[in-house]
Parts: sequence; C-alpha cells; structure tokens
Amino acid sequence: MTDFAGLIRALVDGEVACILVGGVAATIHGSARLTRDVDVVYSRKPENIRRVVAALAPFEPYLRGVPRGLPFRWDEATIVRGLNFTLTTTIGDIDLLGEIVGGGTFDDLRTNARPVRVFDRELPCLTLPVLIRVKRAAGRPRDLEVVAELEAIAEEIDRTDGRG
Amino acid sequence: MSRSEQPDVDRDPVIEAYKAGVDRTLIRERLARTPAERVDDLVALARFAEELRKAGIAARRAR
Repeated sequence: MTDFAGLIRALVDGEVACILVGGVAATIHGSARLTRDVDVVYSRKPENIRRVVAALAPFEPYLRGVPRGLPFRWDEATIVRGLNFTLTTTIGDIDLLGEIVGGGTFDDLRTNARPVRVFDRELPCLTLPVLIRVKRAAGRPRDLEVVAELEAIAEEIDRTDGRG
Repeated sequence: MSRSEQPDVDRDPVIEAYKAGVDRTLIRERLARTPAERVDDLVALARFAEELRKAGIAARRAR
C-alpha cells in the first residue's frame, strides 16, 4: 500500500518544487475514488532535479512494472535524460511528471495551483478546473468517469456558492 | 470556484452519461470535509482495500 504521507513529506521536506496532480489532487478536491499512487509535476530545473533525486533516494525508486535487475540508476543524469517517470519505491508508487497533456510543465502549471495542507505539510495542488482540463485532455477511457465525478464536484461547489 | 473558471469545452455525451450515475450525496459529504480530512479518508480507504486484498489471497490459499 502506498504511504501517501511518506511520499508527500519526502517531497516537501526535500524542498522539491512540484505540483500535486492526478488522483490525490482529485481526492483533495472531493473525489471519493481510491487512488494507488502520488502524481506530481516537478520542475525540470537542475537544482530541483537534484532535490528530487535526494528526496526519493532513501526509498530506492525503480521503474514500475519493469523486471528487477535492469541497469536503472536513480540519479540526476537519469532524470535529465528522461521526462516522465512511473516509479515504485519502498513506500509506494509515485509518478514524477515533467510534463502532462493539456497542462504542460511545472512552470506552465504553477499559476494554476493552490497551496493545500496535508499530512502537516503544505504543497501546491492543481486547481479543480485545470485538473478537469488535463483529465479530459488525457483522453483515456478510464478518465471519463473521473472527469464526470470532478465536473459533478464543480457543479456542487457552484450550487453551494450560488446558495450562499 | 465559479462556473466561469471551469474549462470552456463542449459537453461530452459520454461524460454526461457517466455524470448521471455520480453519487451527489457522497460528493456533498466529501465537500463538507477539509482537504486534509479527505486525504485521511483516502488513506483509510487504501488500508481497507489492502486488508480486503490480503483476505482474498488468504481465502484462495485456504481452498
């Protein structure tokens, strides 16, 4: 089982510049769906890549779904050569995304994120409208139900605000 | 968040069909909780799912 608190605390305590997206962001906005991993869009600046590597190194990141024993090294060079990494660690799964469809990079998204406080840490989380946009853009069949729920959440928030 | 902030996209009939099945009562319950409480609920749900998974494995082995 993913240790959501452990992963989020590692990123925040490691001063990693990143934005919560995906299932945990959906949960923060009110989704009742179970998600199994932490998804973040991270800054690709060299100093941040150093921080990402240092923050997650204690948890032995490895490519998810890939047989053990491949020459995968968790270091800055690997992150620089790649972009999006779906990883498994000793405390659970994490998707490190340099860019997402419909949203772009960390720098593109930072104005569309708001700080949230979870597990005694504060980090940016993608806003609900933009989360809906990127989920729609992803276009995966399994995302359609998620989009429906997120749009229903947005409608409920509007309904409540309108009443207020 | 206002409606005007939402993405300006055409309504997708598939999404609208799914939306008809969304449990609004559950959403209202979730929205009554703080973001931190919602994440705590996720952790509890993940623990519950893990327990069920383990129970399923144990049951299959016992057969």
